[in-house]
Amino acid sequence: MNSKIGVYICHCGGNISDYVNVEEVKSAIADEEGVFLAKTTMFACSDATQKEMVEDIKTNELDGLVVASCSPKLHLVTFRAVAERAELNKYNYVHANIREQVSWAHSDDKAGATAKAIQLVKSAIAKVRLAHSLDPIVIPSKKAVAVIGAGVAGMRAAIELADMDCPVTLIEREHFVGGRVSQWDILFTTNQTGKELVTRLYDAIISRENITLLTGAEVVASSGSIGDYTLRVKTTPRYINEMCDPGNLQKAIDACPVEVPDEFNFNITARKAIYHNFPSEYPQYPVIDIKNCTRCGECEKICKSVDFSQEGKLVDIKVGSILMATGFDPYTPSDGEFGYGQFGNVITLPQFKRLVDINDATLKYRGQVIKNIAYIYCVGSRQIEGSESSTGEETRGDGNIASHDISGDNRYCSRYCCTSVIHAAIEASRKFHGLNNYHFTRGIRTYGKQELLYSESLKNGDIYLQSYEDDPPVVYLENGDTMVKINDIMTGRQEVSVKADLVVLVTGMVPRADNSVGSLFKIPKGRDNFFNEIHMKLRPVETVIDGITIAGACQGPKNITESVSSALSAATKSFSYVSKGELELEPIIAVIDGDLCSWCGLCAEACPFDAISMVTKGTKEIAGINNSICKGCGMCLPVCPVNAINLTAYSDRELESMIDALAEQMK
Amino acid sequence: MTEEKKKASYDALVIGGGIAGGEAALNMANNGFTVLLIEKDLSIGGKMIHLSKVFPTLDCSACITTPKVSEISRHPLITIYTGSEVRNINRLSDTLFEADIIKHPRYVTEEDCTGCQLCEQACPVVVSDQYQFGFVGRKAAYIPFSIASPRVAAIDIENCTLCGACEKACPTKCIDFTQQSIEYLVRVKTVIIATGFNLFDPLKIPRFGYGRYKNVITAMEMERQLAPTRPFNTVLRPGDGKVPDRLAYVLCTGSRDVTIGNPICSQICCMYSIKQAQLLMGALPMADVTIYYINIRSFGKGFEEFYDQAKGMGVNFVKGKIGLISEKENGNLILRYEDVNANTVKEAEHDLVILATGVVSNPDNASFFTNNSLKLDPFSFICQTDMLASPARTSIEGVFVAGTASGPMDIPDSILSAGAASSEAMSYIISKQ
Amino acid sequence: MSLPEKRNARILVFSTEKISDPAIDMAGLLKLHYPPTVYTIAVPCSSGIKPRWIIRAYEKGFDGVFIAADGSDCTYGETCTEKTGQIVSRTHQIMKEKKIDPARLRMAAICSVCSEAFVKQIKSFNQYLLQSLSTSS
Ligand SMILES: Cc1cc2nc3c(=O)[nH]c(=O)nc-3n(C[C@H](O)[C@H](O)[C@H](O)COP(=O)(O)OP(=O)(O)OC[C@H]3O[C@@H](n4cnc5c(N)ncnc54)[C@H](O)[C@@H]3O)c2cc1C
Ligand SMILES: Cc1cc2nc3c(=O)[nH]c(=O)nc-3n(C[C@H](O)[C@H](O)[C@H](O)COP(=O)(O)OP(=O)(O)OC[C@H]3O[C@@H](n4cnc5c(N)ncnc54)[C@H](O)[C@@H]3O)c2cc1C
Ligand code: SF4
Ligand code: SF4
Repeated sequence: MNSKIGVYICHCGGNISDYVNVEEVKSAIADEEGVFLAKTTMFACSDATQKEMVEDIKTNELDGLVVASCSPKLHLVTFRAVAERAELNKYNYVHANIREQVSWAHSDDKAGATAKAIQLVKSAIAKVRLAHSLDPIVIPSKKAVAVIGAGVAGMRAAIELADMDCPVTLIEREHFVGGRVSQWDILFTTNQTGKELVTRLYDAIISRENITLLTGAEVVASSGSIGDYTLRVKTTPRYINEMCDPGNLQKAIDACPVEVPDEFNFNITARKAIYHNFPSEYPQYPVIDIKNCTRCGECEKICKSVDFSQEGKLVDIKVGSILMATGFDPYTPSDGEFGYGQFGNVITLPQFKRLVDINDATLKYRGQVIKNIAYIYCVGSRQIEGSESSTGEETRGDGNIASHDISGDNRYCSRYCCTSVIHAAIEASRKFHGLNNYHFTRGIRTYGKQELLYSESLKNGDIYLQSYEDDPPVVYLENGDTMVKINDIMTGRQEVSVKADLVVLVTGMVPRADNSVGSLFKIPKGRDNFFNEIHMKLRPVETVIDGITIAGACQGPKNITESVSSALSAATKSFSYVSKGELELEPIIAVIDGDLCSWCGLCAEACPFDAISMVTKGTKEIAGINNSICKGCGMCLPVCPVNAINLTAYSDRELESMIDALAEQMK
Repeated sequence: MTEEKKKASYDALVIGGGIAGGEAALNMANNGFTVLLIEKDLSIGGKMIHLSKVFPTLDCSACITTPKVSEISRHPLITIYTGSEVRNINRLSDTLFEADIIKHPRYVTEEDCTGCQLCEQACPVVVSDQYQFGFVGRKAAYIPFSIASPRVAAIDIENCTLCGACEKACPTKCIDFTQQSIEYLVRVKTVIIATGFNLFDPLKIPRFGYGRYKNVITAMEMERQLAPTRPFNTVLRPGDGKVPDRLAYVLCTGSRDVTIGNPICSQICCMYSIKQAQLLMGALPMADVTIYYINIRSFGKGFEEFYDQAKGMGVNFVKGKIGLISEKENGNLILRYEDVNANTVKEAEHDLVILATGVVSNPDNASFFTNNSLKLDPFSFICQTDMLASPARTSIEGVFVAGTASGPMDIPDSILSAGAASSEAMSYIISKQ
Repeated sequence: MSLPEKRNARILVFSTEKISDPAIDMAGLLKLHYPPTVYTIAVPCSSGIKPRWIIRAYEKGFDGVFIAADGSDCTYGETCTEKTGQIVSRTHQIMKEKKIDPARLRMAAICSVCSEAFVKQIKSFNQYLLQSLSTSS
């Protein structure tokens, strides 16, 4: 029973004290049983106050500490550290959240807020009276990291970890590495090509012995937790043996009778069932797409390295931390969105990037020479919540009008696309002379130094138009021509229409359609459905799941520099979980009362982690908890028919004394 | 100055103790590397520690910065010199740099000061407070600001009259007028530059009247009026102390403007203006807030939603460039602007104008190295020589850049950039061993 | 049992540290107001709440108990929703035995950004409790 408790009530520079009378709180709790000193402070978290707390604890030999300030999500760690510096076990400190859950939530009712704060502080005091010292559970942490996804983010993180002397398994679902960047030719803002970048990264990966690269590989199951994860990885074979004579290979590809849309080119071309994406894609062996292969055997006749006997494998890998870098999908417009799928010459920006890359002398699409290009911005981004689809009702020419529904769920801006499309237009004009570029924008967002590309494009004579937020551009057919019209802000709502040989929809980034690997690890998603970080401002690569970090575009839209920066940051964090070879875990775990327990097994069934098994104590069979597996969720507590289980720091006594303290004024 | 230069060695030298430098130092220290953090100012924390709240979460900036700052200042592997500067850095060998560092006197023995502020009360000299942009005064013996780290006093020797009042008042006798600059020669394996950014000087655009018209202020000045540690408890216009009710933001002040030599976008000013507009709507419920913009750049995670939220709250967004600002007798301001939507030139009257000044480079970066040259970009930010694959790399091997020293960035991007710099610095040291 | 001058019901909320408590924090951040007679105790997971704690709250004077459950976001496993549901039905059973109106216990899944949902739920619960208190007295 702690009986010398120090209580600190924070003003938070007005954030609390503007609504909660902190002095009143202080005097209301000063005489609570066990309270030795009670103080108010301007900023409890400031260095000076922390020092003062340490002093107070040491000189008065306090045995309990209560801090009433902002949410414990912000400062639990801070004040635990204060306790430890004062040589007070950190579990003798209890936090009361009187900002997020009091002053801010009840800024409309100061008296009510103050009354609530008093009760919350009393309940924290009640809890700390019963608190006692606990020692952390130390577990070994395997010095190895699994990186999931070998796009630029994943590859770069893997190289970095390897260079920090940490073994890495790099797991890529596709048969080729590089992710999206391998699909882009010239990149903003450096004008290197995607191929160059991916080649460099791939070379760096294969030259490092401590990186194991698995392609065609997917994580299908996971067990364990921080420090000790076991991942079951399923690999699908390429059906091609390592050595492959390039001449023969092309012949074998030519011989394949199966043609399917080529996803690498976003389906604007076709490929065979035996294929490789392009000559510098890695690893450089082709793949047989077994789903579409008819097993006709034509390729096998030509190329000896075809090997249909290869089989998929399941391997288990053990790592201490997981770094997720599964990237994004380009948004796919719905049928009829700005004429997509409706008019033959409406394509997306990724398709346009591929088109520019694969055309040589003249820019052609479906046999048609392209001169006039209309780019429609923000397709699939900045969608207006709940707005009605505003289909153009009027009829013109042959009456063929595309709907231009901009209502959807993606409210965010995809950030990369303004710069990307402007850069693509510049590069297309450089490669093919005489193009006319018309940009139908919603306000250009070439932030930072990327602004220079916008200036360059204006100098090139590209035409920029901007639509009103409630009045997007319309794509329609007139006398067989595809037209785009807009009421233009820049000219004070003049209607402008442009005949377009090609309409490019500047599609945004959306989370991977198949992001089931995230659910496997229970990584939470944000409102935008991308993986969510712990703290948007200060902890952008950590997740609430201990030991799992997120990097690159799977966390939200990013360009390459931003993806790589986040990959390197995530590598640092993942490294810090495993670098020491051991980890300290919270000692908040379930505890069995051996006298009450008579092993019915219900708790073992309830435990989601298999932490409970039958043990014998003397002659008696009782439930036993495996301390390093128990996560302290408490799922076993309510199922016990004899109430023999308590959770450390959340015992019946503690919880009930807190409830009693909250209810003190009620009866 | 003392004769002997003090010698020491660390794994890493981090220059600049803003959020980027702090994060980089912490990342390295948490992985077992020793770090020397050099900060020019009297406190670490950079610009962020002075901000009100942060977009788009509206977290109180002080509340999320202070724990970070105290974690940095308490870390056993991080040594911090505030009020210090790097004079030059010499490369000794492949894996070794030597830095010449000067620590300016504070005239207060840091270890002994308890931050009791008795010296402040005793000091008779009042000067304008640089941390509050002159909105209020401070003493010549002063604690820089309430959440400074270290929170210890300093004597502003230029304004001090050497009256000795503080010395008498100090209970721990830590005031020491005999202090002199100390020079250090420090050997390190790697250097991280995190010297941050400067704000564009609005005096360079005379037609906006900053400096002449009292009710034309910068957003950083407004930031202080909105912060929890603010000088007044409300928002006041400097001209006459009136509570303003028709406020205007002028975006892209000193950015995207070839005429003043800065063609790039500063990337943060749209968002911080939207943030301040939201805070003002809360602080002054009756006030009208108008934002004059060219394009609104709400591109980051949660930003577009934040922009929508501001529109929903009634912030008035006007697409148009400001031509001229002129002052009326009552201190109100007339903004002449081109209203793009209406395609005409219009005028509007406001009683407080806030210039959203842009991000420019810190000139200090040019002079750190003697026998190596640190490449700068056309805007004098530190050049990222391998921007796509190694964004923290500079033209000098073993020297990395973190945060806004390489270009405009908001806080999360600065944190990511710092993560990249510390990561590369660590793998650099490890792979050289 | 109700006090005439009382304008709000007294509600005990069990939140969860990683999921629903952040949402309740965010409600404060967004200044979404709800009655100040709503008190929160955070536990690791909603499927670890013991019925006896809930009963204790009524015995000590709370008008209502609200479980802000992890729902499908639970970091401890997908069985959480089901298990929390079982706790609620078991507690309802005990409440009936003790002649406590089972409607005084409510549960809803509150995700980590469900601040608006939380405030809506609490306000409607408050309304219900006030009504039932005034009719029962
Ligand atoms: C049209 C377009 C043009 C662009 N141009 C540029 C440019 O010029 N410059 C620039 O800086 N940025 C550009 N970008 C942005 C750039 O593409 C991204 O920043 C980058 O691709 C993000 O890299 P990533 O590794 O996070 O994701 P990705 O590139 O998407 O890579 C993710 C990888 O993870 C793999 N994966 C996914 N799920 C799993 C799983 N479950 N298991 C295993 N592996 C999995 C994928 O197969 C993929 O290889 C452009 C984007 C688009 C859409
Ligand atoms: C008005 C305003 C409002 C803002 N609001 C937000 C917001 O709401 N959200 C958000 O995300 N971002 C915001 N920002 C941006 C944010 O301030 C920056 O992203 C962030 O401060 C960058 O951190 P930094 O460490 O790179 O640079 P700085 O904060 O500039 O830190 C650099 C540090 O280096 C020190 N230093 C400089 N030169 C030297 C030298 N030669 N030797 C030693 N030390 C040196 C400086 O004293 C300083 O401490 C805002 C910016 C402004 C101007
Ligand atoms: S970056 Fe540009 S095109 Fe992309 S969503 Fe944002 S505003 Fe629209
Ligand atoms: S961020 Fe906005 S205000 Fe700042 S320079 Fe860019 S466009 Fe202008």
